[in-house]
Amino acid sequence: MRSMARLLLGALLLVPAGVAGQTPEALPLLSTETSDVARVVGPPRSQPLSGMALDAKTYQVGALLRCPVCQGLSVSDSPAGMAQNMKGQVRDLLAAGFDQEQILAYFERSYGEFVRLQPPLRGVNWLVWFGPLLGLLAGAAIVIGVLRKRASTVALEPEPGSELPGPDTLPDDPELRPYLLRVRELAYGWPGGASPEKEKA
Amino acid sequence: MIPGLGRALILLSLLLGTVGAMLAFATARRPSPASWAWTKRLAFAFSGGLVAANLLMVYALLAHDFSVGYVAQVGSRSLPVWVTVVSLWSSLEGSILFWGAILGVYVSVATWANRNRHPEYMPWAIGVWLACGAFFSFLLAGPAQPFATVQFPPADGPGPNPLLQNHILMAAHPPFLYLGFVGMTIPFGLASAALLAGRLGGAFLRPLRTWLLLPWIFQTLAIVLGGWWAYEVLGWGGYWAWDPVENASFLPWLTATAALHSAILTERKGILKGWTVTLVLATFLLTILGTFMTRSGVFNSVHSFTQSPIGPTILAFLTAALLWSVGLLAFRIDKLAPEGRIEDGKSREAMFLVNNLLLVLFTFTVLLGTVFPLLVEAVRGVQMSVGRPYFDRMAVPLGAALLFLMGVGPALPWGRATGAQVQKALLPPLLGAVVAAGLGLVLGVRNSWTALTLAFGGYTAQVTLGELWLPISQRLKRGTALAAALAEVTMGAGRRRFGSYVVHTGAMLVIVAIAVSSTMGISKEVSLKPGDQAQLGPYTLTFLKSENLTEPHRTAVVARIEVSRDGQQVAVMGPRMNQYERQREPVGTPDVKSFLFHDLYLSVMNISPDGQSLGLLALVNPMVGWIWGATGLMALGGLLTLVPQRRTAAAEAVR
Amino acid sequence: MNRKVLLVGLLLVVPLLGLLLANLGRDPRRVDSPMIGKPAPPFSLKPVAGGETVSLDALRGKTVVLNFWATWCAPCFEEHGELQRAARSLGPEVRFFGVVYEDEEERVRTFLKQQGSAYPSLLDDGGKIAIAYGVYGVPETYFISPQGVITSKYAQPLDEATIRRAVREAQAGTAGGAS
Repeated sequence: MRSMARLLLGALLLVPAGVAGQTPEALPLLSTETSDVARVVGPPRSQPLSGMALDAKTYQVGALLRCPVCQGLSVSDSPAGMAQNMKGQVRDLLAAGFDQEQILAYFERSYGEFVRLQPPLRGVNWLVWFGPLLGLLAGAAIVIGVLRKRASTVALEPEPGSELPGPDTLPDDPELRPYLLRVRELAYGWPGGASPEKEKA
Repeated sequence: MIPGLGRALILLSLLLGTVGAMLAFATARRPSPASWAWTKRLAFAFSGGLVAANLLMVYALLAHDFSVGYVAQVGSRSLPVWVTVVSLWSSLEGSILFWGAILGVYVSVATWANRNRHPEYMPWAIGVWLACGAFFSFLLAGPAQPFATVQFPPADGPGPNPLLQNHILMAAHPPFLYLGFVGMTIPFGLASAALLAGRLGGAFLRPLRTWLLLPWIFQTLAIVLGGWWAYEVLGWGGYWAWDPVENASFLPWLTATAALHSAILTERKGILKGWTVTLVLATFLLTILGTFMTRSGVFNSVHSFTQSPIGPTILAFLTAALLWSVGLLAFRIDKLAPEGRIEDGKSREAMFLVNNLLLVLFTFTVLLGTVFPLLVEAVRGVQMSVGRPYFDRMAVPLGAALLFLMGVGPALPWGRATGAQVQKALLPPLLGAVVAAGLGLVLGVRNSWTALTLAFGGYTAQVTLGELWLPISQRLKRGTALAAALAEVTMGAGRRRFGSYVVHTGAMLVIVAIAVSSTMGISKEVSLKPGDQAQLGPYTLTFLKSENLTEPHRTAVVARIEVSRDGQQVAVMGPRMNQYERQREPVGTPDVKSFLFHDLYLSVMNISPDGQSLGLLALVNPMVGWIWGATGLMALGGLLTLVPQRRTAAAEAVR
Repeated sequence: MNRKVLLVGLLLVVPLLGLLLANLGRDPRRVDSPMIGKPAPPFSLKPVAGGETVSLDALRGKTVVLNFWATWCAPCFEEHGELQRAARSLGPEVRFFGVVYEDEEERVRTFLKQQGSAYPSLLDDGGKIAIAYGVYGVPETYFISPQGVITSKYAQPLDEATIRRAVREAQAGTAGGAS
């Protein structure tokens, strides 16, 4: 069976000496390009798509590929010629039955990890996926800690001997000063608003 | 003559800014009426110099004086007048000059508004403002010199980048962005002053809040104007791509929003002083980081036309500002002691903490994603992208959580709450949630996040509308006439609270509109020959013909498309492909027709030279217009909250 | 002094600054090619001038120079002469091919008739081969060893000396650089 497949694909497939690639057990009518794809990412792992499903999935996969000649746009969104070609290639590969990860890996072979708009999970990339989650946990821990601490200090007895609510300093805005002094005069009966015990002006 | 005069004005403002900063700091340490008076004069003079330089440049642009370096760079005789004015900020040197002028105006107004107040803080603040101002003057005097003399002035110039001439929104987005970005320098100075003075009293929170809110309003509008411009001009049908420069404008907005909420707690209970100050400092630092990202060439971005060699200089300033902030906080934050406490985890105060947590987390996530490619290259030596799919994934839960919190927070009471009170507050709005989600399902929503966002939106809407109505109903019960009650609540004593809830209403609509527009749209890409038709949802599109247009600065091919619905013609739309002399790749301009609940969006993907073969992108975008409108509502609410209230009659009586 | 604040502050600030500083001066649009040292993707393309299909596997044992170009590309025009001279002088062991990138057949034919060409240009339908090789734009030239491995890639117009050097590297089978 293997040698039969080899004979059939022999004219189309290229097996360079340096690469001990496996001969994919692919459909016999693969074009040169898709057989190259199969050599790189393995045989198609999924069902060939067509019609509306194909359109929808093409857009979906295209949205994960970066248009190499644009600034940050995805292949699905970009009108550039290169992006249109890439979109066509994505469509052909989906129609041949390759799945999303295979297609992304194929483009990554030519263009590098740069072409994937969503960082794949490898190496230090884990940090960008889990960083926000760790941030959430750390932040939540801090907030809960702050709330616990605040709530527990409420239980403490107020300082003995302090009958005045709040600090006894004058406000920063000089305009408010006469009002505060007048209020203290009216409320506490302090002449001129000055506390009889403390020497604050 | 003009180049020389311009350079002189810039050098003058550099001198005034430097001397003024030094005098301000000296006044702060050893106050005296004379030095304070001179500090203020120097601040005004510094501002005057930069504003004058700007006006001079505008004059030079309008007069097509090509002996001025910047005019030779971006000026052109074949441009409409509005484009000539806009070219002031279209390229590096002009944009820094514009930045300087706005900073000057802000410093002047902020100094004048507080000329007789807060003497323990103001000299410190002015010192910081003038130090920042001196840096920008230094940029203008050296690395980003707009008034260079051109030895042999050309007869005509090349004009600004064509992308910037495409749409009138280009006139609006940068000024608003600068009013936002630059404005954050003022609260930075005020926050630094609080740390330097070693206190943050209740009265000083007023200017801090005011001068944080004003740039915030501009920033909110600027961000959305940028999105609107991208939508109307770039032709891919979206309004936000998480481009590094878009993120740069969003990051300070997030921390400023957090600071505005945290400041409410500081005002009410005298807590979180250090935290509020930290957020304000971070906001300014993020604006400097933002301007670095836009201009340095380190980030791959749509805004690449602004990349320039002043990156290292801005990085130096950013370093100085970061070290200043960290140092100041480390040494002085303990002086800002809290005066109160949060009593209960189920209170509204606690919800403010959650608000800050979510906003800071959002900031961290966007910042991490934006700088991550740099990190990976340093660690793994590999170039990679963190693009829209990643940011969308992260932003959706965060946005939904914030939306929900906007409902839960205001529902809970201040201070303490019993379990029964919490139930009574949090359960009734579930009705709104169910109604909104039900409405969504009926209208075809199938995406679970969108449905959840609708539910949260309904919840928050019920709470917010209730809070908006509450003071009016209280006054009605007391016997006040409806008109008087409305006037008092919306413009009188209840204005600040009312305005805040208007902002929440706007924010809620924006989040819901984003959710709906992201998942409920229809799109189609078709190849059409003249006479061909395509069906898009309820619309029938017929490609009539293509027309060639020649304008002074570009040629264009317009595709005339007839749009009809239920057999009736609705419009004839004309998306186009423009060819500018200076560029190889043509730039498309989509045509957008807005209806109440959706937009019909047509964009030319490609068109054959003979105009007979059209590649058309057609979209129905629901609720996009609501994003723009609701942002306007947010700005309006902010304005209501901003305008200070008169001292009431009761306060006058005490005198 | 608040130690905690200082520590957290520096921990956030120093790495960020370091990262930005390290990246200053880097061109964000420069992307390194991952194809160097990898087996050249196979192709089977029709020449513009008609005739038999050219396929890479039939060229095994020869050094191949693959130049992606277009008529609308000014730098391609600059290097056209250099490529012709190199092709003529390097003998039958080195095979040159042009691959047309986003252009119209008629225009290419006209151009080649006017300018002449020492080697065939191939038509890449749908840009599939450009994608397989990771082409960003034109001109881009790939040098492939007799064993079928890409030894170097140049994303700029070439001169004869550079072409010769790159061919020597390819013949030796040493993976060179990218540019």
